[in-house]
Amino acid sequence: MFKLKSLDGSQRMSTQDLLQVINEAVAAGETEFHIEASGQHDIGGPLWHPEGKDLKFLVKNPGQRVGSMCLEGTEIIVEGSASADVGWLNAGGKIVVRGDAGDTAAHCAASGNIYIGGRAGTRSGSLMKHDPLYAPPEFWVLKNCGSFSFEFMSGGIAVVCGYDSEKFESVLGDRSCVGMVGGTLYFRGNASGISKKDVKIKPLDQEDIAYLDGKMDDFVTSIARSEIRDELSNWSEWYKVVPLRYEERSKTSQTKILPFRTEEWVPNGIFSDVLKDDFSVIGLVTTGVYRQRVPVWENAYYASPCEFNCTASIPSQRRYNLLREGKVEEAYKLVLEYTPFPGSVCGAVCPNVCMEDCTRKNLDISVQIGELGTYSKDVTLDKAAVPKGKSVAIIGGGAAGLTVAWQLIRQGYDVTVFESDSKMGGKLEQVIPRSRLPQQTLSAELKRIEDMGVIFKNNTKVDKEKFSEIRANHDAVVVATGGHKGRVIPWPGHERIIKGIDFLKGINKGKSPKVGKHVIVIGCGNSGMDAAVGAYEMGAEYVTCIDVQRPAADAKEIAHVEDLGATLMWPVITKEVTAEGIITQDNEFIKGDTIIIAIGEVPELEFLPEEIIIEKGHLKVTGDCRIAEGVYTAGDAIKPGRMVDAICAARHAAAAVDAYLTGTAYQMQPKTKIDKNRLSTAYFKKCHSCDVPKADDDHLRCISCGTCRDCHMCERSCPENAITRTLGSDGNFEYASNANKCIGCGICAGICPCGIWSMHANKQPIHA
Amino acid sequence: METVNTQDITVNDLPWKIEYKTDRCTMCGSCVAACTFQAIMPAVERRSVTVSTGHRPEPSQRHSAVLMIKQQNSIENACTGCGMCEKICPNQAIKPVRNPDSRFSLLARKGGSPIKRGGRTSLNSGRTLDNIIVGRISQMTDPALDSERHTFDILAPFGRVLMPHELPLSSVNGTLNLTAKLPPVNWIYPIIFSDMSIGALSTRAWEAIAMATAYLNEKHNMPVRMSSGEGGMPVKLLESEQLKYMILQIASGHFGWNRIVKAIPKMKVDPAGILIKIGQGAKPGDGGLLPAAKVADHVQAIRGVPKADLMSPPNHQGLYSIEESVQKMFLSMNAAFKFRVPVAIKCAASATSVSVYNNLLRDPYRICGGFFIDGIQGGTGAANEISLDHTGHPVVSKTRECYLSAVKQGRQGQIPLWAGGGIGLTGNAAADAFKVICLGANGVFLGKILIQLLGCVGNEHGRCNACNTGKCPAGICTQDPRLVERLDIDKGAQNIVEYMLALDSELRKLMAPIGNSSLPVGRSDALVTTDQAIAEKLAIQYVC
Ligand SMILES: Cc1cc2nc3c(=O)[nH]c(=O)nc-3n(C[C@H](O)[C@H](O)[C@H](O)COP(=O)(O)OP(=O)(O)OC[C@H]3O[C@@H](n4cnc5c(N)ncnc54)[C@H](O)[C@@H]3O)c2cc1C
Ligand code: SF4
Ligand code: SF4
Ligand code: SF4
Ligand code: SF4
Ligand code: SF4
Repeated sequence: MFKLKSLDGSQRMSTQDLLQVINEAVAAGETEFHIEASGQHDIGGPLWHPEGKDLKFLVKNPGQRVGSMCLEGTEIIVEGSASADVGWLNAGGKIVVRGDAGDTAAHCAASGNIYIGGRAGTRSGSLMKHDPLYAPPEFWVLKNCGSFSFEFMSGGIAVVCGYDSEKFESVLGDRSCVGMVGGTLYFRGNASGISKKDVKIKPLDQEDIAYLDGKMDDFVTSIARSEIRDELSNWSEWYKVVPLRYEERSKTSQTKILPFRTEEWVPNGIFSDVLKDDFSVIGLVTTGVYRQRVPVWENAYYASPCEFNCTASIPSQRRYNLLREGKVEEAYKLVLEYTPFPGSVCGAVCPNVCMEDCTRKNLDISVQIGELGTYSKDVTLDKAAVPKGKSVAIIGGGAAGLTVAWQLIRQGYDVTVFESDSKMGGKLEQVIPRSRLPQQTLSAELKRIEDMGVIFKNNTKVDKEKFSEIRANHDAVVVATGGHKGRVIPWPGHERIIKGIDFLKGINKGKSPKVGKHVIVIGCGNSGMDAAVGAYEMGAEYVTCIDVQRPAADAKEIAHVEDLGATLMWPVITKEVTAEGIITQDNEFIKGDTIIIAIGEVPELEFLPEEIIIEKGHLKVTGDCRIAEGVYTAGDAIKPGRMVDAICAARHAAAAVDAYLTGTAYQMQPKTKIDKNRLSTAYFKKCHSCDVPKADDDHLRCISCGTCRDCHMCERSCPENAITRTLGSDGNFEYASNANKCIGCGICAGICPCGIWSMHANKQPIHA
Repeated sequence: METVNTQDITVNDLPWKIEYKTDRCTMCGSCVAACTFQAIMPAVERRSVTVSTGHRPEPSQRHSAVLMIKQQNSIENACTGCGMCEKICPNQAIKPVRNPDSRFSLLARKGGSPIKRGGRTSLNSGRTLDNIIVGRISQMTDPALDSERHTFDILAPFGRVLMPHELPLSSVNGTLNLTAKLPPVNWIYPIIFSDMSIGALSTRAWEAIAMATAYLNEKHNMPVRMSSGEGGMPVKLLESEQLKYMILQIASGHFGWNRIVKAIPKMKVDPAGILIKIGQGAKPGDGGLLPAAKVADHVQAIRGVPKADLMSPPNHQGLYSIEESVQKMFLSMNAAFKFRVPVAIKCAASATSVSVYNNLLRDPYRICGGFFIDGIQGGTGAANEISLDHTGHPVVSKTRECYLSAVKQGRQGQIPLWAGGGIGLTGNAAADAFKVICLGANGVFLGKILIQLLGCVGNEHGRCNACNTGKCPAGICTQDPRLVERLDIDKGAQNIVEYMLALDSELRKLMAPIGNSSLPVGRSDALVTTDQAIAEKLAIQYVC
């Protein structure tokens, strides 16, 4: 027995001296120690007997860390209480504190036993560990622990018996077990503030009871409190704290907004008074009502450039589609719905404005629409099934008058055309050079009109009297007398000038009007060019065509007269006309034996009653082609234009007359021209001009702008298989997109060569 | 022959170019369906070539038409770089790429109108805060705190704080008594969800933020507050218990205040505060702007306006001078809520901010409950780009100057300083908040980062920022029901909640090492910088 008193009167041993004394005694083989300490630290470890015998310490009043780093074979009993860090890093010793322990008791203990017979301070049991090579450390506390106890505990067994601790809210203090990842903690009584994110509290099982029961005797005897053994052994008062397994630990905050929104938040949302919202969520790509855009098959909604530019609105793309389908006859007939002159106008005299902006032109060369007209020369349409029983008189048998007649006769009206000339056809017959318009083409087309039932009254010049007679005998009248009075400017010597229209009329009548060697044509429009051609035909040697401005004639016509040897001059302003020619404003002289003027014609309208308004020499029309009650007009009588313009005006006039006679509203809706960006010309290989087929085979090149060509590209390319093609009983097909499949990608619109599919913003309300 | 003129707009004139790989694309159409800007379109490409495969020149032609995705070459449909196409493409066949040769800014002023957009300044993304480090770590001298377990007091005042000698206290028989009412002060989390209006935000985006606010309060005891923004308040929220988390904003347009005033008698609780908006950092000197595309029926109802471009005047109008009208606003807002609700003011940071703050500090009526300074890096739903990029003032030094000016007068903390505009710009709002607080702010306010948490893909490098168009691909800055439907309100709120939880932990991670258990307002000794100029300007330690 080694006894040591650390105080000698006022002399106190330092920790160092005391520990050295103990070390020496242990080295000398001492095994039992009674230490009366006075706050010296680190008593009891790490010590080992030279022969491996057990060491026993009975300590009073130790300082901090009694039993720290204590090794197995050492037993320390502290009479009364101990300061902080009892059994710090205990490596196998048995440390018994009969009284209270200070803070951080059993801190980092990794084996051995630590028994506290009173209370333990804050952070007790923190960082306890278990080295698998040895038995786990055991840390028993009779009463309770301070806050933050068992922080980061990762192994071993801790037992807090909760004796004499009823007055505490928690026998484990507040916030115990934070960061606890291993070991087991038993406690008796109440505990709160335990770190829920780290541990769970469970009732004891048999094994737990066996452990506690088995160890309890040793504990109570060690701390000399055997009498309370039974009081501590009511196992229903005990609980066990175990750390959550790695898998049980939530790595996230477990935020649960949905139940919060539906159960605790403002019911139906804070905007529910002004807006419907079910809070459902869609992805970036959706179908049906949620699509951003919806495809619509807008067949023939837009005009093709050819249809748009042709004032008569002839839908040539439809003709080509029919040809492509092999419906040749139908294709040729289709144009007759719009004009009775596909051969004479489209195929001959028309400047073919349709081809000017043909989509195909931007690729290689225009589709040959004009020539296609000649294929329609010999077909005709069915006669009207039911006569209307109403009669219409048409004054003037030119392009305008005959087109009105053609349109109305096919609707069942009785139509009579009054023409002053001996032949029908107006300028087609009277002035257009035969070289440009073969007689048999015109005759055939005139005959087609007559065969349809139109009554031709030639050699009937309508005057005032005749007009009222006609008006009285017919349900409606159409004035289409064109312009036949050639305009002349009263320059000095103007009496010498020959009017171009009269000159051309003379040629066509076979009168062979005489011309000199040098001919001057004033006016370089198309009619000027015709006059120049006529002059050459009549034997002129040199033709000079002059104009005050850039020649307005079509390039084709200019090229033709230049080929014949004519010279075009501009700007040339005439000052005087002499027997030798023309003196210009600049006092230049242009030689000319014959001077022909072709600067336009004005209508002769003297036969019309006073009530009809004439403005600047032309008829003034209201929006529906009307000039008086039941009297309509079309063509050059309104304003000078091209044949196709006369045909266009005539179609409108015919519709207006029909509306008038049937008492319906007249309306002709002009279509918008298709935007070229809607079309996909990439499908089409560029032809070299040698590849260009015959006009009726040009369906191979026509893109069919704005009108579906039934190619199935959209149907086959739709990624969602949403497009179906249906054939109606009328033989017309239709493509449609199924809203429940369609995602609104616009592939159909992008892939369509003809620009039929439009992507519209989806306007359907989504919370109906 | 192709017909393109030099002045025609082509894809290379646009800020983003679509990089597209035909060989990877299956033409599923998803990218086009997803793009809200109609910046890409399916199209057919001609592949027509003359080849010779024989031993001699023997030309033969190969022609095919290939379906592909094509970028639109128009200013109106310019790709914004939002990346939705890339997100949805199953094959990684498409993505937007920033175009360094863009001529967009030259071309987009077509029609004579200035370029408008949302987002933040793109020219002033320099970051003072990133040059500042928390450099004073408590180690041997004083204990650092344990960020996990220590009890921190993370609260900031919203409301007028009186100086000790100003407190109306008297002691009668050894007990202290208040002899007059104190100005209202709410102690709240030092981060306010700031001022994004109903209208600028979709209903779902706004509600997600409101819900996240409530959730943080109710489930995590984080007293975060949200400011309504200048577009009014939903009546249902005004009449709910959750109104207590809301700060009601009034700006020069006074939008939605009819419904707010009408709701006052029905309020179950007081709102957390009133914020008078004088200016905004993103576009100082310019009023609010809500393009007609976003003025949907419900916005019209809440704001009391027809469908039109809604422009509010650059300052509060009335018969008074600016000082008087501000005074009018303060008094009336205090009075309307019976002097129970603190009233603060928000200004764009400016060279004159310190004078404004000094004026407020002198206010004898003690009715200014906070000074919000909004820096140039603040976000906006719609602004003229010229204002966004070329007007404004950085918030850091201005906050510091205001604080130091108050310190000089011994009046720091009296009118709480709240700083915003670019807080969280690089993703870490906790660090930014901490540093600005150390420099003298009581708290900070966040805006843009919240919508980024909801899914906004915009950034200060020119990505998306189409908040003004009504075509927000994330359903955040739009009122188009089809786009709003894209926004998962619960997930959005969750992102904000979780970001804030992390932010709270991160704030502790910074408070702990400097040993502060309450907010280190003005503890500039905790900061160091490796930039001499910043050190000098902010009066913090230069280190290297
Ligand atoms: C020289 C010339 C060349 C032209 N070349 C072309 C061309 O290549 N391509 C082209 O597209 N356009 C051309 N035009 C224009 C085209 O001729 C007219 O646009 C078209 O003829 C107008 O048709 P219309 O029916 O209105 O008139 P017209 O064709 O002139 O028909 C009017 C008819 O009314 C008759 N008539 C007149 N008064 C009376 C009356 N009181 N009683 C009874 N009958 C009457 C006339 O005899 C005539 O037959 C040319 C015009 C001229 C003058
Ligand atoms: S009338 Fe003329 S423009 Fe019209 S289709 Fe015939 S040729 Fe073309
Ligand atoms: S491509 Fe065909 S449809 Fe198109 S403009 Fe030419 S002819 Fe008309
Ligand atoms: S291609 Fe199919 S899915 Fe795409 S828009 Fe057309 S119909 Fe809809
Ligand atoms: S990045 Fe956005 S705007 Fe650009 S094409 Fe893709 S989805 Fe459209
Ligand atoms: S999403 Fe991808 S695969 Fe689908 S069409 Fe677009 S680029 Fe092609």
